[in-house]
Amino acid sequence: MAAQRKTQMPRPEAATTLKIFDCDVHPVPKAGLESLKPYLPKPWQERFARKRAIHDGLNVPIRFRHPNGSVVRQDARTPEGGPSASNPEYLVRDLLNTHGIDGAVLNCFDVGGLLSAQSSTEESIVLAAAYNDYFIEEWLSVDRRLKYAPAVPTQDPASSAAEVRRIGRHPQVVAVFIPLVNVLMGHRYYWPIYEACIELALPIYVHVTGIENIFTGTPTLAMGVADSYIERYAAVPQVGMASVASLILSGTLEKFPKLKFIFAEYGFLWLPSLFYRLDRTWRGLRHEVPWVRKAPTEYLHERFLFTTQPCDEPDDPKDLVTLISMLGPDLLCFSTDYPHWDNDMPAGTLQMLPPEVRKAVFYDNAARVLRL
Amino acid sequence: MARERQRFRIGKSIDFIVGSIKVLVVNGREIGVARLRNGELRAVMNRCPHKGAPICQGIISGVWNASAPGELEFDENRDVLVCPWHGFQYDLGTGTEVCWKGASRLRMYTIEEGDGEVFVFI
Repeated sequence: MAAQRKTQMPRPEAATTLKIFDCDVHPVPKAGLESLKPYLPKPWQERFARKRAIHDGLNVPIRFRHPNGSVVRQDARTPEGGPSASNPEYLVRDLLNTHGIDGAVLNCFDVGGLLSAQSSTEESIVLAAAYNDYFIEEWLSVDRRLKYAPAVPTQDPASSAAEVRRIGRHPQVVAVFIPLVNVLMGHRYYWPIYEACIELALPIYVHVTGIENIFTGTPTLAMGVADSYIERYAAVPQVGMASVASLILSGTLEKFPKLKFIFAEYGFLWLPSLFYRLDRTWRGLRHEVPWVRKAPTEYLHERFLFTTQPCDEPDDPKDLVTLISMLGPDLLCFSTDYPHWDNDMPAGTLQMLPPEVRKAVFYDNAARVLRL
Repeated sequence: MARERQRFRIGKSIDFIVGSIKVLVVNGREIGVARLRNGELRAVMNRCPHKGAPICQGIISGVWNASAPGELEFDENRDVLVCPWHGFQYDLGTGTEVCWKGASRLRMYTIEEGDGEVFVFI
């Protein structure tokens, strides 16, 4: 394993001054729920022990398991043999130092599914607090470059807002991760969470949970149940499309004029199609949603960022340059998705963009939206 | 050199009532003539700037506004022509598209009203 690590790509930007902020990194506790014990009240420790609640991954049905057995890179396991991204010191070396990354947003992927649907409402409230305390306590002090997007128990918006207010003042908390349930993001259901985020000047961070349309209560995907991991993976951007449209057309962005959003891992090449349609239809039907006071595209540029990974790449790199210029360089923020199988490392990502666009995408856009 | 416009009599004042638009063929062109709620007349080409639809067969309406989600308000003092094809909305007072910053606008003609008669310049 050690020999394999020495073959990793060299620091790609060492010869340049390009600053890099990684907007999507997935730490996990060293030993699943067992690691959270010190952060759980005693009665809840006993409850989870009695239930034999072991959460060491998404625990999805066979048809949706990754065809290679795990969504996590096995080559990123820790030197002591622990799960990938379970050791903060090693993550700093393996990701930040090796790839010249100046900052990273940690968000625990597994907790998204756990809080949105795989635990009861009451359990999710306790677990959200435990996970957040664990990562704040055991990770953020390791390196100032590590930032955190704490997850909230979305099944209860009031408790979610309380969780934001409880931990949201930590200087390395830079956004709030809302694991989505099957309610469109513009709905009033989320307003208590949005209010709390506004109070603390924190943007909203949403990320694919990996269990959409698998468990009841999660965001549904069109036309029923996919038949494989790959089919579901390809369909997940629907959630991003529906969420962005909902936030704009509901008037929620007018209700919260300072609120900003980062969409992680939903893709971004669907944006031109969606927004050409939204703008054209709004011109004709704005009287149905008169609280939408300007063209949807204006809200898009003012309020949203989309992570670059997984970067959907046309055969000809020039086509991607064209597509990103159609979008505008202000909408994207670089992300690796470390340590997941489909991660994009800086050296192999968006190299064809002009230098000023790379500067915006790899650092400036994230710095503008995150509470750094 | 710009072509000199001609003056055409298109009807009596009482032919044009508030809230409706009357389509006429004048010198080979289809125009719509509407009386605004403030009593003024407007003459516009019967062609939507968006896709060329016969816009004068559309709805004339006020405008909905909202101070917040769900807080619906209706401004009945504004006269808006709504295209029957894609619903694009144009302010009959100014010819400009409602709420859109682009250059899209109705083709408007000068109209005069005097002694109970109405004239348009084409």
